[in-house]
Amino acid sequence: MAQTVRPGQLELAPPGLGQRLATAVKVFFRLLAHSKAGFLGFLGVLFFVVLALAGPIIVPDAGRPDMTKIYQPPSLEHPLGTDYEGRDVLKQMLRGGRAIIVVAVLAATLSTLISITFGALAAYAGGWLDSIIMMLTDVVLTIPQFPLLVVLSAFVKLDRPWLLATLIALLSWPTLLRAVRAQVLSLKEREYVEAARALDLGTTRILFGEILPNMASYIVMSFTIGMTAAIYAQVALYFLGLAPLAGENWGIMLNLAWVRGAIFYKDSLMYILAPVLAISLLQLAMVTMSRSLEDVFNPRLRES
Amino acid sequence: MAAWQRSSASNGAPVPVLSVRNLEVRYFTRAGTVQAVRDVSFDLHASESIALIGESGCGKTTLGLALLRLLPKGARIVDGEIRYRRRDGQVIDVLQLDEEEIRRFRWQECAMVFQGALNALNPVLRVWDQMLDTARAHAALSRDEVRERSERLLRMVQLEPERVLNAYPHELSGGMRQRVMIAMSLLLDPQIIIYDEPTTALDILTQRAIIEVLRALREQLDFSMLFISHDLPLAAELADRVATMYAGKIIEVGDVREIFYNPRHPYTLGLIKAVPPIVGELYDISSIPGTPPNLIEPPAGCSFHPRCPYARERCARETPPLYEVGSLHTSACHYWREVKLERQVVETGD
Amino acid sequence: MRQSTPIARAPMIPQLAARRFASVVFRSYALRRVLKAALTIYLVATLTFFIVRLMPGNPVDVYIHTLISQYGFTYDDAANQAAALFAFNPNEPLLVQYWAYLRALTRGDFGMSLVSPGTPVTSVIMTYLPWTLFSAGLGLLISFLLGIMLGMVMAYQREGVLDHILTAAGSFFQSIPNYLVAIVIVVFFGVQLGWLPITEMRGAYSPGMQPGLNLAFVKDALYHAALPILTYVLTTIGAWMLLMKSSTLSTLEEDYVTVARARGLRDGRIMRSYVGRNAVLPLFTQMAISAGFVVGGSVVIEKIFVYQGIGFILLDAINRRDYPVMQGIFLIITFAVVAANLLADLLYSRLDPRIRVSGGE
Repeated sequence: MAQTVRPGQLELAPPGLGQRLATAVKVFFRLLAHSKAGFLGFLGVLFFVVLALAGPIIVPDAGRPDMTKIYQPPSLEHPLGTDYEGRDVLKQMLRGGRAIIVVAVLAATLSTLISITFGALAAYAGGWLDSIIMMLTDVVLTIPQFPLLVVLSAFVKLDRPWLLATLIALLSWPTLLRAVRAQVLSLKEREYVEAARALDLGTTRILFGEILPNMASYIVMSFTIGMTAAIYAQVALYFLGLAPLAGENWGIMLNLAWVRGAIFYKDSLMYILAPVLAISLLQLAMVTMSRSLEDVFNPRLRES
Repeated sequence: MAAWQRSSASNGAPVPVLSVRNLEVRYFTRAGTVQAVRDVSFDLHASESIALIGESGCGKTTLGLALLRLLPKGARIVDGEIRYRRRDGQVIDVLQLDEEEIRRFRWQECAMVFQGALNALNPVLRVWDQMLDTARAHAALSRDEVRERSERLLRMVQLEPERVLNAYPHELSGGMRQRVMIAMSLLLDPQIIIYDEPTTALDILTQRAIIEVLRALREQLDFSMLFISHDLPLAAELADRVATMYAGKIIEVGDVREIFYNPRHPYTLGLIKAVPPIVGELYDISSIPGTPPNLIEPPAGCSFHPRCPYARERCARETPPLYEVGSLHTSACHYWREVKLERQVVETGD
Repeated sequence: MRQSTPIARAPMIPQLAARRFASVVFRSYALRRVLKAALTIYLVATLTFFIVRLMPGNPVDVYIHTLISQYGFTYDDAANQAAALFAFNPNEPLLVQYWAYLRALTRGDFGMSLVSPGTPVTSVIMTYLPWTLFSAGLGLLISFLLGIMLGMVMAYQREGVLDHILTAAGSFFQSIPNYLVAIVIVVFFGVQLGWLPITEMRGAYSPGMQPGLNLAFVKDALYHAALPILTYVLTTIGAWMLLMKSSTLSTLEEDYVTVARARGLRDGRIMRSYVGRNAVLPLFTQMAISAGFVVGGSVVIEKIFVYQGIGFILLDAINRRDYPVMQGIFLIITFAVVAANLLADLLYSRLDPRIRVSGGE
């Protein structure tokens, strides 16, 4: 029987998850090392993730409202001042990142899953399936996401993280899907060439050793972009009061600072500036990281 | 003003339309300085056609670009002179022209048709607009004159003017696009046209057609031509003289028949031997062994000596000058007397 | 078993005709884009219909229920009232309602406002939409034009001081959510430093101004729209600059640019018609994302600057649970974005002769 193996169908003994992961991580760092800005972005993202994990542990309680301490200026006791009901702003900042990042991670996971599954499917299947998926992608891409989210918030009570994350994810996959499809298409091309070579050499492991880490770094990039989109939508919903103002997070702080007049006093300026800065820095770090990854992936932009 | 800038009428011998002296071009790259053109001198006379031949990477395209001062970033002309005799007899140094003067010099005095014709025309403009653009940049002709000239030239290159002028480049085939470029090169009636591998990337029949077109144009119009090619037989069809380039240097110049029947440089000889005869049996096809040299550190002495069957110890030591080896035939080989073409050259027959 | 007999082929003819028609349609770029736009609008209209009708506690049922329990309407009267407001009849089967809804939409009938009885949704839209189109459209246009100009300058003066500054600034503003930029403008330049009279700049135009096409009014409208426009420009220009820079850099490598220089064309002409026109083409595909982003962002931006455009009214409608208005505004926003895309696509096809017929992404 003739040994005809279509590279797309290659089955092989997996090189072991740990080993693969190690390769992926190594490649990821090598890519980031290409640019200082990208590495700084990566450190920034890491900082916020640690903050999200550790913040609520370091500060187990945000404190009780104290009507005698409303809108106090920054002091040693309250480095960022106090809010409209006398609670410490710094404590809220330390605790308020987790909710935002949890929803962002959930949403990004979901939208990355959607875009990678269907993007890869479209690229591999081709033909009418590809056409249908791309048509649908184009349509969803054209629908203004944020207004739809705003309208949906009138019907659905966005009080659970996973619900908020799902809605955001369902609207933010199209850009990622397009990118994934393009990436898989080009990997597929490369795969054919390499498969031929690998089969001659008698090893198929090289092939997957090359492709998997490549794709893994790409997933990190898509994931980061997904998170940025989720943070944008989420904080806006809180700011507009369209998601319930229960619990504590930077979006809610933004809303309350705006609504309760913190912007009018010098003393309370940090109450609104702290979440603005935190969210901006988080977004900046993630965009910088994903861009440096993109630079590495897109050779046309890389030359310089 | 230097003496040579005066008109030639007084001193008998005709002044060449283009006279290149000791031209040096370098690419400054991270890997090092590439000596792309080294000490190149030659004369191109009125109505004459010179073929510049050599392997790819020997600096012939760089030389062409240098003549128009169109070198890419990182490349510089570090030494030499490019003297050009204008129609009024005045001789100018192209390297001394300012930006505006060199802009006007390009195409009006010296046009250039590039290799890789597929992408030479702006994809978003019609051919007519690009013809008009060219003329307007030099304020040379009125709109009607441009129209009339374009139509005549397009007809000369065997194209239908009405159809082609209204077409966008992507609507034309590769051969048609190259013919458009040839027509455009003649639009402003320049004295010199450089054709840089005008037939590469075209199929064999189209190549043939382009060569025929060029040959016919040479008969009907009066211009000097620098034909850059790696394809010897092609060059032979269009050239009066042939200059062989190797490792950034011109190593042999002579009349086309001289070069073909009586090459006096081992490299030229190798190039001729590498050409399969079109008629007759395939015999004695030897390609030149070895690879073109690294131009960051070219070999000492004669650059060709590592690949040369005639090479001796002297060749690695002493750079050969261009020896006078025949009437108007020079060769940069110490042992040119020993170089002889032994096979019978088969006439290709026109 | 061969099917090559003429008889077997005969029934194929209408199919062939249909296929030929389809191939003509699909080969024409413009037609394909129009079809896609129509399909998008149709799908969004359908989605909106089913959200409004099928969501738990959907507004139609709630409204009917309220009329019966609070105002003592009979079910039929209540249903009729609801039918008038929502532009479909809740008593009919769902598909019939859906059909009626679509037919009403094609007539431009979006139903009536729940909160201000007697006001058609269409008139709400007509009052507020122009201001969003004006501010978002102008912001998009300024950002695009300025962005491609700066991007070209960056490419021509690559690695220069300006290139570095603009790259850093562009990346910075591109990363930060537009509403945070708006908040900072209000907090610092409006309230703390007091440089901008933000209270006076509220609204789409000054009270007492007579809307009309005269200089005074246009100036006033620009004055009120200035801050939203500034925000849109600041937050989208970075993307255009960086895209244009990389596109220009690759265009500069093209043969036809070298040939244009060899032809002795003037630098300005080469920059505009040879480099610029070709470099800008790939950017049109980004228009979809940018238009959607700006119009979507207008919901928050208009709220922050109290600019009475369609986004501001959408929030208002949501807070008051005015479902027909919400639905109508969402449809019209989608329609605006789709129309903007279609416009960009058609403009693109005018500028790039290669895709006029053959197409390709």
